[in-house]
Amino acid sequence: MAETLPRTRAALAAWDGEGLPPEAAFAAMAQELGAALEERRIGDVSQRLNFERTGMRALLLRTARAAPRLVAPYAESLPALDPRWAQPETWQLIRRAGGPTTSLYLLRALDLTRMPDGAIRAVDPDQALFRTLFLRTLWVSVIVTLACVLLGWPVAAAIASLRPPWSSTALLLVLVPFWSSVMVRSTAWFALLQREGPVNDLLLLLGVVDAPLQLVGTRFAVLLATIHVLLPVAILPMVGVMTRLDPRHLQAAASLGAGPWLRFRRVWFPLSLPGVLAGAAMTFLLAVGFYITPALVGGERDQLVAWFIAQYLNRDVNWGMAAALSVYLLAMAGAVMALLRVLTGGMPVGARG
Amino acid sequence: MTRLLLLLAALVIAMPAAAQRELTIVAGGGQLQDHMRRTLFESFTQRTGVPLRDSSYDYNVGPIRAMVQARNVTWDVVMVEAPDLIRGCEDGIFERIDWSVVNREKFLPGGTTTCGAGAIGWGVSVFRDVSRNPNGPSNWQEFWDVQRFPGRRTLRRGARMTLEIALMGDGVPAAEVYRVLATPAGQQRAFAALDRIRPHLHFWTGGQQPIELVNAGEVAFAVGFVGRTANAMRGGARFDLNWDTLLFSFDYWAVVRGSPHAANAMRLIEHITNPEPLRALSEVWPINPVTAAVANDPAVRGRNPLMMSNHQHRGLQIDTEFWLDQGPELEQRFAAWLNR
Repeated sequence: MAETLPRTRAALAAWDGEGLPPEAAFAAMAQELGAALEERRIGDVSQRLNFERTGMRALLLRTARAAPRLVAPYAESLPALDPRWAQPETWQLIRRAGGPTTSLYLLRALDLTRMPDGAIRAVDPDQALFRTLFLRTLWVSVIVTLACVLLGWPVAAAIASLRPPWSSTALLLVLVPFWSSVMVRSTAWFALLQREGPVNDLLLLLGVVDAPLQLVGTRFAVLLATIHVLLPVAILPMVGVMTRLDPRHLQAAASLGAGPWLRFRRVWFPLSLPGVLAGAAMTFLLAVGFYITPALVGGERDQLVAWFIAQYLNRDVNWGMAAALSVYLLAMAGAVMALLRVLTGGMPVGARG
Repeated sequence: MTRLLLLLAALVIAMPAAAQRELTIVAGGGQLQDHMRRTLFESFTQRTGVPLRDSSYDYNVGPIRAMVQARNVTWDVVMVEAPDLIRGCEDGIFERIDWSVVNREKFLPGGTTTCGAGAIGWGVSVFRDVSRNPNGPSNWQEFWDVQRFPGRRTLRRGARMTLEIALMGDGVPAAEVYRVLATPAGQQRAFAALDRIRPHLHFWTGGQQPIELVNAGEVAFAVGFVGRTANAMRGGARFDLNWDTLLFSFDYWAVVRGSPHAANAMRLIEHITNPEPLRALSEVWPINPVTAAVANDPAVRGRNPLMMSNHQHRGLQIDTEFWLDQGPELEQRFAAWLNR
């Protein structure tokens, strides 16, 4: 806006916002739009204003194309071209967009919008999307994290208790899937879960179901595949901490008369907790940003925030919206991490046992 | 740390080398691009002696914008979709086509814009596996008739095309679709039509998915890209492809702004839109050329009954300008609808 329509912006800044702006603003608008079209930098401004109000792109381009034919006084020739130039709301919107910062994207990413009078309201229910999306992302990430920790802990404990070469063999079994592509593992789940896939074939063969289940495109599939993909991320930090546990702690506990259960509950388990927290933290942080797996095995109601960020970034080229969603996602992840730290009394995440 | 510095130093040294890179053309990849390489690209190098490298992308224009803004242009000629081309042209992401090098007269009507020269036509239409479903819908109203033709249907995930289809499913004639869809009442009607058969709908994201979904029996009827469907049929798939449900548009060749090879890029576009190399391509792949002499060539048409040019008159051309204006709002409304 500052680069494309500098004189319009200055003229509107001087305007009191009541009624229609002075002739200078109309003239600057007509001339600068014409020049912007000619020099091909009208796109940014027209997209930006169109995102604020649908139809603005068409209005600006139409005016820019007609600009060479428009004559003074522009306060008459612009409204004659399109009646929207005679509406104060149009000018107020442009004036507001001329500021150095905008709350537009941050508001939209929370399903809020600013009315022409400046008040902030919830968007039309038909357009509301992002609050649901953030809650869903949080919910899916928490479930995935809990499942990964609960499933990963016994595996990690088992690996830590094995002797070489079995311990490294077991670790390799965790590492191989960890190293293989997320894409490949997610696609494999699609193949397994599809209507005529092995899972449904087995269920039919065993007589558990009469007709193939719809598994692909469900929340269940998303959770299952994401948990599988992230499980090694949870296991590895736990193994790291558990293998470094000093066996003398257990010996000391035994020498003081603690039985196996007490040794586990009072000594070994608490000492393994930093690993559990590190595993949980890494799993959660990766889960909030997940999008390949939900895109492949999930349905329309299973996409997470990251999918929309990618969509805005790559497809719609609306980087403002992508940035606003990213900021909230980062804040959400940060808040959960901080909460985790407070709940654990500031225990160092991933510290040596 | 030292290693990181060395890496950075290596990058800085490597950067001027980018200026000497070869002329690079980027399209959608896949088998089509393999055939393009043999028929279009290699013949350009043979004729002009200019070395040419080709690469593929997923039609996401974000990276192109990033390379123009960073002034590190590594692609020269790109195949782009119509909305991206027009937006990119307004934003100065693409160069204006030099019509003194590229012959503007050879294209079909609508086949050129300020920054783009028509590359290929593409479309979507309904298809089904006849071995699973001997009968299927023959128009959009029947596609919406879930009593008469039971089974799940899959459409592209997105408002563009889906809302047009929903209106036609609700009985709006093709010629009226964009006029109706421009009104709030028309938009309401489109979403209400989607609501009506929502339990029977599935939405795909990647172009190969409709074929996989139909092959796997996940859906009974699919709206998919006609090129891919036709290709699967030539590969032996027992599909019925319905041309009365065609929605189509063009893809264009464009030159990335700031390309160090802009002059050769224009010559390349002139060559790959010429009838001779396009005829060679049409012999190995059922393209839908935008070059009139090839698109209207009876020999080319006769060779490929599944070529879109033969059926284009039965379809609806997607209104690019409509979607540039209404797209952001309708796409978000569609995303919100999907998530409800």
